[in-house]
Amino acid sequence: MVEEQELVTALQTDGAKEAAFRELVAQYKERLYWQIRNMVLDHDDADDVLQNTFIKIFRNIKSFKGESKLHTWMYRIAANESITFLNKKAKRNNVSIDNVKSNAVRKLETDVYFEGDQLQLQFQKAIATLPERQRLIFTMKYFEDHTFEELSEILETSVGGLKSSYHIAVKKITEFIKTDETL
Amino acid sequence: MKKEENIPNFKVPESYFETFEERLFSKMAEESFPKNAGFKIPEQYFEKLDSRILKAVAASEKPKKIIPLFPRKYFGYAAAIAASLVIGFTLFNTKRNTSQLDSLQLAAIDTYIEEGNLNMDLYDLTSYIEDEDVPDIDLDAKYFSDSSLKEYLLENIDTETLINEQ
Repeated sequence: MVEEQELVTALQTDGAKEAAFRELVAQYKERLYWQIRNMVLDHDDADDVLQNTFIKIFRNIKSFKGESKLHTWMYRIAANESITFLNKKAKRNNVSIDNVKSNAVRKLETDVYFEGDQLQLQFQKAIATLPERQRLIFTMKYFEDHTFEELSEILETSVGGLKSSYHIAVKKITEFIKTDETL
Repeated sequence: MKKEENIPNFKVPESYFETFEERLFSKMAEESFPKNAGFKIPEQYFEKLDSRILKAVAASEKPKKIIPLFPRKYFGYAAAIAASLVIGFTLFNTKRNTSQLDSLQLAAIDTYIEEGNLNMDLYDLTSYIEDEDVPDIDLDAKYFSDSSLKEYLLENIDTETLINEQ
């Protein structure tokens, strides 16, 4: 695996940019895909957002000044692209973002690319009730195992703030599942 | 039971004990959550993904072909009509209100952006701005009234973010 700093230098050098970008895609495609998929739920939507994320990375790599780590910057772009996608979808269909999320969860029941059981479906329903940023924090921490310190760099938020946001999310999910079970 | 004074060299992070229950119950609740999300991907998706991404990036870099709205032969007629309209407008509407024109243009630009026609986001916009341009940006208070700023913050920032940032 090529070291990150070497990769950045190559990405910002005209002759080496394409080969370095291939390496970058190979290294990060899966991690970025799962981060996006956990937000948009549908595979085809995740695929679109992932491609847009890499297009943004390629276009803007020249202006990357190394103030954060390359992968941190990429995760941040993927996070913003996911939220932008959900907002655009809501605007296009003239519905609220909550509506977009609940529709996406409902679609999971018949989605050929979802093999979750009832509990996993209920879990997704609960996650969809969280506000965007809290949902991002929860899914990135719970499913992708980012540490709070990493998340703090990616989302440019204090570790304390992230921890409390995460605990609030866990509480809301637990309460949703409890209420849903008694219905 | 030993008192805290017996272990003077050990310290705990601030609010450690005050928030211990919260963290413990959160951890216990998490234990009952499913370990994975239940998503599947199409067969060979990741294997074929690299070439698709590289193609998409290459396509996005290609300059777009511009198709003219009117063929070249109509340019003469169009120019003549436009010129007579301009002359007519100037002759019959000498008391033109420039401030109204300015606001009309701004409103049209607003609508254009709000309808999602300007396909740019923060990353695209910032790529056009150099560090040295930032101090020159005219952030005059007249562009944002207190009420519209308040409205923007209420619509775009959730309460938890505000609480967390305190």
